[in-house]
Amino acid sequence: MGESRTEGVIAWALMAPALVVLGVFGIFPIFYAFFVSLHRWRIKKGEFLGLSHYGRALGDPIDLLGLLIGLAVIWVGLRWFSNHIRIRKAFGAAFLLAGCWLALHFLLGMAASGDGRLFNAFKVTLFYSLGTIPLEVAGSLLLATLLFKIATARSFFRVLFFLPYITPMIATAVVFRTIFSPNPSSLANRFWALVGSDPQRWLYDSRSIVALALQGIGVEAYPDWVDTMFPSMSLVCVLLYNIWVYIGYDTVILLAGLSAIPRHYFEAAAIDGANTWQTFRHVTLPLISPTLFFISLVAVIGTFKAFNHIYILRTAGAQDTVDVVSVLIFDQIYQFHNAGYASALALILFLTILVLTVVQNRLLGRRVFYGD
Amino acid sequence: MVSKRTRLLHRGLTYAGLIFAGVAACTPFVWMVTSSFMTRGETLRRVLWPAALQWSNYYSAWSEEDFGLYFENSLMIAGLTVAGTLLFSLTAAYPLARMRFPGREPLFLLILATLMVPETVTMVPNFLTVSWLHRATPLAWINNWPALTIPFMTNAFSIFLLRQFMRGIPGELWDSARIDGAGHLRFLFQIVLPLCRAPLLTVGMFTFIGSWNALGWPLLVTNTPTWRPIAVGLQKFVSEAGPEVHLQMAGAMIATIPVLVLYGMVQKEFTEGISMSGLKG
Repeated sequence: MGESRTEGVIAWALMAPALVVLGVFGIFPIFYAFFVSLHRWRIKKGEFLGLSHYGRALGDPIDLLGLLIGLAVIWVGLRWFSNHIRIRKAFGAAFLLAGCWLALHFLLGMAASGDGRLFNAFKVTLFYSLGTIPLEVAGSLLLATLLFKIATARSFFRVLFFLPYITPMIATAVVFRTIFSPNPSSLANRFWALVGSDPQRWLYDSRSIVALALQGIGVEAYPDWVDTMFPSMSLVCVLLYNIWVYIGYDTVILLAGLSAIPRHYFEAAAIDGANTWQTFRHVTLPLISPTLFFISLVAVIGTFKAFNHIYILRTAGAQDTVDVVSVLIFDQIYQFHNAGYASALALILFLTILVLTVVQNRLLGRRVFYGD
Repeated sequence: MVSKRTRLLHRGLTYAGLIFAGVAACTPFVWMVTSSFMTRGETLRRVLWPAALQWSNYYSAWSEEDFGLYFENSLMIAGLTVAGTLLFSLTAAYPLARMRFPGREPLFLLILATLMVPETVTMVPNFLTVSWLHRATPLAWINNWPALTIPFMTNAFSIFLLRQFMRGIPGELWDSARIDGAGHLRFLFQIVLPLCRAPLLTVGMFTFIGSWNALGWPLLVTNTPTWRPIAVGLQKFVSEAGPEVHLQMAGAMIATIPVLVLYGMVQKEFTEGISMSGLKG
């Protein structure tokens, strides 16, 4: 008994420095941020405001309630839809549709009555994740399978692919600023000229790529939603930068996952006469799924935390079309010294990440095959 | 069954894909290196190759634009942060991996949960905490190294990686160390520490990169150039100076070189270490 108690004392003593740092600068701030968010807080603490910062950000509470109900309906719909009884499946599908409509309706209501910049930032963040994660995962899976096949120069390519990830983002983001500059002699415009098109304004262009494509084929009159419902040209440049940075990292991790698959699985598949695609689909993919799940989880959290490179890549010309939520919050702190409102926004972001992580775990985690 | 020609074709396609990706990965570096040696006029016209290598760009960036000072600051900040992180994460990971005490699993989960907290949430409270420490303790925090290093002297990812590795160390080692009369502390520093070379180098490299890249927090806690790190220096230079692309690129090169040198030194262990982070266990 005495021995295990000494062991406990030693354990806590060893962990103490790390726990102090994590506690003071990692966990305590969550509660402190909530306290700050309840006050008017410029340089110093001001009057108590209650939840009004949240109201200002999220808009009408009725709409928020509607959104939550919509999400709950979607949840129920999803559960019923996966049921094998046909009538339940039909009900599930109906619930899903109704839930999506409700959620969208009230979300638009919130966007109208709340802080438009916040909802714009969430939209940009959504474009950002949809535009990067699938391409990163698919691209790195392809590169990893290719690397796995070759025997010579594998580590050479691995180092090469890893360079963009390892190089300081501040440096490479500055390089991408000049590559995607509107200057006709910039690298992006030179490539564009090879295809035979006019120079573009790249990072300095706030118009959506669809709008630009329409203009390219001579359509000048297009409805407003063409500009608002698609990512802007500058955001697409930021997406390309993001993919360039992370694809190599994902490739290295996936390659490690591939190398960890026992060889006899492939041999058995070969004996059974499986072709390349069948082997990939029925052997490689299920066995690599835990690693795929891991990199997609990291990528989703990463897009919500992305800040440094976007802060460097943003230009006046892009307006607010590249400002993800983190950038919006940082502006509130650094530029407007509005600590109270910034804290409210940050906690909303944190809650969103929490919910998304749980949902992703539930939806995707179930499909991951962990073997035996 | 497969003919020799199709196999050759497969091989060719594989290498073609890899080489294409390799070129895409490298092009921005080539762009950076060549631009950093050009005159201002050459960068504006963007010739492919500088007529003469302008080494003076590096001199201008280093001394006239203060990149030398920022560089030294960043080295100090990153060095202190890495040293603290290595020590604190090592001592925190060991009990979580090897020792028995009540509350171990919930504590580990709590530590992992901090991974999900975005920096924007902690920024304002930490600024207030650090300002308070600045006033309440004899140590100057703002505009000084403590604010830039101490809050980052450990993180959940480092503890997680080291713990995962330590769990893989065979239990027989501990048993025989115990028979020889070694306690936990001696076991940790004499046996476990040397074994943890690869994960420690990985953690060190990650921490170095994180510290080197940090932009938002240093902007908040430094308002004079005295302790301004290179990320802030570069960002300010890009947004405030005119189209001085040749100097920007020289600055970017100055910011890149130490990281590449470090990576070259720990490349093998680092690849091993990050590969481990994606595997279950």
